[in-house]
Amino acid sequence: MKRFALAGNPNCGKTTLFNSLTGSTAHVGNWPGVTVDKRDGVYKKLDEPVAIVDLPGIYSLSPYTPEEVIARNYILDEKPDCVINIVDATNLERNLYLSTQIMEIDVPMVIALNMMDAVEKAGDKIDEKELEKRLGVPVVKISALKETGLKELMERAFTESKKSRAGVTVLNDTALAHLIGDVKIALKGQNVENPLFHAIKLVENDSIEVEMHKETENMIDEFKKTFKDDVFGDDFEALIADRRYKYIAKNFDSVVSRKNKEKHAMTKSDKADRVLTHRIWGIPIFLLVLFGIFHLTFSEDLLFLGKIFSFPGLEDLGVDIEAFGGQLLACFYDGAVFSPGVIVNNLWNNIIVNYGLGFGEGGWLYNLIAESGMQSWAIGLINDGILAGLGSVLSFLPPILVLFLFFSILEDSGYMARIAFILDRAFRKFGLSGRAFMPMIMGFGCSVPAMINTRTLADEKERTATIRVIPFFSCGAKLPILTAIAGAIIAYFGVGNADLITYSMYLLGVVTAILTVLLMRNTTLKGETPPFIMELPAYHLPQFKNLMAHLWDKTKHFIKKAFTIILASTIVIWLLTHFSFSWQFLEEEEVNQSILAQLSMFVQPIFTPLGFGSQLGQFGWVFVVAAVAGLIAKENVIATFATLAACLVAVAHLDIGTLDIAAEEGVDAVQAMILATNITIPALISFIAFNMTTIPCFAAVGTAKAELQGGKRYGGTLIFWLATSYIVSCMVFTVGSWWWTAFIWAAAIAVVVTAIVVKNKKQNKAKA
Amino acid sequence: MPIVMAPVNRELKIVKIIADDKVKKHLENLGVTVNGEITVLSSSGGTVVCKIKDGRIAFDGNLSTKIFVA
Repeated sequence: MKRFALAGNPNCGKTTLFNSLTGSTAHVGNWPGVTVDKRDGVYKKLDEPVAIVDLPGIYSLSPYTPEEVIARNYILDEKPDCVINIVDATNLERNLYLSTQIMEIDVPMVIALNMMDAVEKAGDKIDEKELEKRLGVPVVKISALKETGLKELMERAFTESKKSRAGVTVLNDTALAHLIGDVKIALKGQNVENPLFHAIKLVENDSIEVEMHKETENMIDEFKKTFKDDVFGDDFEALIADRRYKYIAKNFDSVVSRKNKEKHAMTKSDKADRVLTHRIWGIPIFLLVLFGIFHLTFSEDLLFLGKIFSFPGLEDLGVDIEAFGGQLLACFYDGAVFSPGVIVNNLWNNIIVNYGLGFGEGGWLYNLIAESGMQSWAIGLINDGILAGLGSVLSFLPPILVLFLFFSILEDSGYMARIAFILDRAFRKFGLSGRAFMPMIMGFGCSVPAMINTRTLADEKERTATIRVIPFFSCGAKLPILTAIAGAIIAYFGVGNADLITYSMYLLGVVTAILTVLLMRNTTLKGETPPFIMELPAYHLPQFKNLMAHLWDKTKHFIKKAFTIILASTIVIWLLTHFSFSWQFLEEEEVNQSILAQLSMFVQPIFTPLGFGSQLGQFGWVFVVAAVAGLIAKENVIATFATLAACLVAVAHLDIGTLDIAAEEGVDAVQAMILATNITIPALISFIAFNMTTIPCFAAVGTAKAELQGGKRYGGTLIFWLATSYIVSCMVFTVGSWWWTAFIWAAAIAVVVTAIVVKNKKQNKAKA
Repeated sequence: MPIVMAPVNRELKIVKIIADDKVKKHLENLGVTVNGEITVLSSSGGTVVCKIKDGRIAFDGNLSTKIFVA
């Protein structure tokens, strides 16, 4: 099968084209650097199927960040049958810079002039026939988004792939042409492939290249001695870049005819940026947007209308909330209008999971199993183990998706890139560049893609620090823990406010991240913060198709996880709680003798300083089990709650009143556990904090290992996560329980900070 | 003068870039080259957003003192 590679600048629409060609739903976003690894697909509309490879975006073939190396090596080493160079027609000059470099490689290529719809909308024209003539490679106008011109593009690429093309350069008229020619001949003599490309990179003094061909160094140095340019001196690299741009400007300016001759016309994007990236207003606007997102997702009182106008509740209005109609109405309104996130959540849980799937107690499936006449342990395993666990995991799909939808909108519109920019100044104080913000915010969705995305960071130490703090940006799977426990605190103790607790826990994670980064950048991961250079893409309306593709992807991933790793772990946990060490099946009442209980009781004292250890008494081990199960996957925590609460109720003879252990969201299960253990509010918050900051999950640990390339950094990362979570939750618990301990913590922190400052000063002096 | 002090919305020419090789190369790839044209769109507290070719590129406060324009 022939292979075509898609190459182009970041954010020029490669992945959109890839999705259109192959029918995939790979993640697309409106900021540079969404694709950080190559991706394969198949295009089937030609005479024979063709493999399509989507490469990370690159500005040139001299790489700056790790993901750019991937693209360069693919083109050089894997030798695709044709390179489809995607060019953003709205920024032709800059994009052609890469094209002039790909042209130097001996590989067939076609140029796809993308975003032609945007160019035409602005009233500009591009003469692609003329461009093709001047470049000497085929040029096809396309719009990856509107899917126009794709067939022609692929047909021409197919024709090209049958021919071979020798590299050509635009540097022939420059003073360096002679040197390039000599180096090329020398390389050819050694049977180096793509001699022209390598010769030019050597003259440019490209670090990867010079490593490979040390022998040419002399030749270039000799030439350097005899060479003098008025502006560039002997900086060949700058000279070559300049000559490329000059060539492009001279030859290709005329193919573009602009409607608006005024060169400094402000685009709509520029006007929006005046406000959104404002020196003073930028950050408040961003915080407002962030709060708005949380409000729309979690608030049970949209825009605080209920508080302002004190609407009557449904029961006061005489609605029968037991009936189906009443329940349906209650999904939208009860004394206050709910936010869209809560409405979706209610509809899904009350109507679909309860009525449709019948997972909960009294649901049709639950009853069917209960009355099936199976052995009682089998009924227990299915109903209390599998169904309760799955039900509680599935119930979290809506808030995760709604939150994710809002982040996708931010990303797709182009605002995300601005946030990175306005936060850069603040980030710099902690020793990171604004670029690190992107992987961090992705962490709110899932740590795995977020860690992979750190490849856009140029500095290795900055990358390590970022990977380590990504889990503190509470991911979608940790949200259930938050909502369940926050819900239980409000229901049981009657204090607090759900979106406020959620918001502040997210904030706690962010603060922890900031402080630990600061700590690492001043101790183990010292180094200069790389400069912030970023392209700000033009704003555009989020694409509906794109958003839905994101959501579908997320849903698929979540369901897959729910039915594999989480299902397996709930079964294992059920088995471990229902069998003793002598493999005796235990009745619910004997849960204290189970393998899991025995093991957890053994390690329980470790968690005493965190508030959920020995002080919780006989049944305190349930929190330990949940936390340990969370190391596999955070969804397990709530699934474990559901399974264990059922056992607890039976064994502790709790009077749980109207609580429904198997109810969705685990709120009632947590309340039952509070009843059984008398755990305090600070300990509950400390439990959330522990789960938020400890080792994230198997998938994230695996990713961190791969991204850090194992070794010392990886081991350090695991220790870092354990230590941070222990200290943070201990601090939360002690300060929450005894406010005056805050002084002890403050003193301890002051000592550490002073020690680090003094040590660094000494080192600096020693260096000077 | 360094670009951080440059007037807004006027076409300028880059005369000098002081940065290490890696950063300079990255800037070149983005179209920020000596002799190249650059227009400052906004400049606030050190950070600068520029128009280069048809793209918008943001620089942090440190870098914007190292790109000199005339």
